[in-house]
Amino acid sequence: MSSGSPLLAARGTSRSFGKTAALDAVELEVWEGDALALVGPNGAGKSTLLSILAGALEPSGGDVERRNGLRVGWAPQRPAQYGRLSARENLELFARLEGEPDPKAAAGRLLDEFDLPGEAAPSSNLSVGNRQRLNLAIALLGDAEVLLLDEPTAALDPEQRRRLWERAAALREAGGAVVFATQNLDEVERVADRVAALRDGGLVFAGPAGEYDRSQTESLFA
Amino acid sequence: MNRIALLLRKDVLVLRRSPLLLGILLAYPIAIAVLVGLVASYASSKPRVAFVDEDNLPPTVIVGGERFHVDRTIREVSQNVKLVRLSPEAARRQLRTGGVVAVVTVPPGFIASLKGMVKSPQLELELSKGTLSSRVEQQVQALVYSLNRQLQRAYIENNLRYVTLILHGGDGSFLGQPIDVLGIEKADKVLAGMPQTPKVERLRGFLHDARLALANTDDALRSTAHPIELVRSPTRGRTWVLSAEVQAYALGLTITFLALMLAAGSLAAERDENVIGRLARGLIGLGHLIWAKVALAAGVAVVLGLAIAVAFGAIIEVGGVTGGEPWRRLPLLVVGLVLAGGALGALGALLGALAGEARSASLVALLVVMPIVFLGLIPAEVVPPAAWASDALPFAHSVRFFSAALYDLSPWGSVLREGLWLVALGAAFGGLARVGARRLLV
Repeated sequence: MSSGSPLLAARGTSRSFGKTAALDAVELEVWEGDALALVGPNGAGKSTLLSILAGALEPSGGDVERRNGLRVGWAPQRPAQYGRLSARENLELFARLEGEPDPKAAAGRLLDEFDLPGEAAPSSNLSVGNRQRLNLAIALLGDAEVLLLDEPTAALDPEQRRRLWERAAALREAGGAVVFATQNLDEVERVADRVAALRDGGLVFAGPAGEYDRSQTESLFA
Repeated sequence: MNRIALLLRKDVLVLRRSPLLLGILLAYPIAIAVLVGLVASYASSKPRVAFVDEDNLPPTVIVGGERFHVDRTIREVSQNVKLVRLSPEAARRQLRTGGVVAVVTVPPGFIASLKGMVKSPQLELELSKGTLSSRVEQQVQALVYSLNRQLQRAYIENNLRYVTLILHGGDGSFLGQPIDVLGIEKADKVLAGMPQTPKVERLRGFLHDARLALANTDDALRSTAHPIELVRSPTRGRTWVLSAEVQAYALGLTITFLALMLAAGSLAAERDENVIGRLARGLIGLGHLIWAKVALAAGVAVVLGLAIAVAFGAIIEVGGVTGGEPWRRLPLLVVGLVLAGGALGALGALLGALAGEARSASLVALLVVMPIVFLGLIPAEVVPPAAWASDALPFAHSVRFFSAALYDLSPWGSVLREGLWLVALGAAFGGLARVGARRLLV
């Protein structure tokens, strides 16, 4: 953990949908080199927290702090891309929106890296796995320093999972960070160096992965 | 590239790849143009009317000393309908089957009544049931009016011949009997040759006054026949039905339908595709997103509006309707299409933001189109609140803008007023859509 301010922090962050509280005053910091796993049962608030950290959703209460000029990449759980555009067109469009200096080159690089088809077929025709890969590839545009990934490996084959975590490791070594939500506790033990466990929108555990008690978290799912 | 332009380009690409939607977008203006063309051709067509002669009209008829050629007279007075001579049975059959829209019957004794000049002869009119009947009735009334005018002219000419005979003297006939009339002028000459006694001078004074009065009888008699005469100025341009109302409403309806559907559907689709969150996290503001949808609606409005205007103009040209300057006004129409498309697009974006997902948004937009259009059709004098409500929506302003832009001789006042309305409504609906779009992030 580096000294100074965190890259990204949730400060008493809450979010309600109507009368339902999805997130309740969560305090969480993301530092350089972090691989932070968000765990918890369905509806615990993991996706909501990631959306708020990404800036895609406004908190109902509290705040989100970002280090000045921080670039954040976000891959939501449900792929966020235009179904009538091809994988290449999606990547080029978001590369332009992200301000990539050479959008075509960036799109070509990510197509290769994620083994995505380059032809003009609409992305809605892609397999579930390929759509998830495209979703992750879009998140990597714009030279992100922090990656927020919502169940990123759920539809990936083992080889793609390995590549993804290699990429995440490279980002951490370069001073970036990865925050990922997952239901896969083996993946937590293998990849994460910190864990935050959520239940009913509240943070029930936050600390180093070494202090994380798997059986305690498994009881959350139960 | 500007981020709004990027999204607009994406929307156009998506539109091109939606064959059904694109087909509807292309077919819709063509259908509207064809329907307008049909209305136009209907407006300039002559209804087929059966003419049943049960009085065996002779080739010529002498009424009030005036000789009428029956067929020529009928041809002259039936310019707005196509009269077809039929037997009574054939006329009834065709009236039932729609072959003719009306039957005009000359009953037995018609000519005798006409010549007798004691009571008005009657023509019998039988109309089909349907939307054309009132129009045909008006045209047959016009036919009878024209016939009456010709007869009236004949009567007046005949009466004026008697006046001329009284003035100048000569041979003539009255009630079939030959007459020899001295005339005022000759009577004055006779009196001038006599000793000018006070009685003779009084008689000559009377003849002088009578001559002056009868000299003016011509105009007086003609003006009695037409106390008020309507003189129609020669006009250039299309008929009313062909022009402003039909084309302006065709454009307004098309643009309203398309702009509302497109803007509502495409904004809500950003949420359906789960992309709005990705966009809203700093890639593009919600306000810019609304702008992109407004620009999409305005762009499609221009393309399709111009297609309709060009198709309409071509139909008019092919139909041989002379006059009118639609081509010269197209640039002004483009301005109206941009403003109308934009304002309606902003309203559509608001519907899309409120509906939340693309299918509901399209359905809501579809349901909203008809009330908006009907509100715009209700005259302000009939239901003032409807007109007020319509003023708060872009449809009526769009129609007025299109109508003024295409046909007003001095369109600038109307165009400026309606243009400002559209800008204000577009800004208001766009602002509301911007606020409503936050719902899409949930």
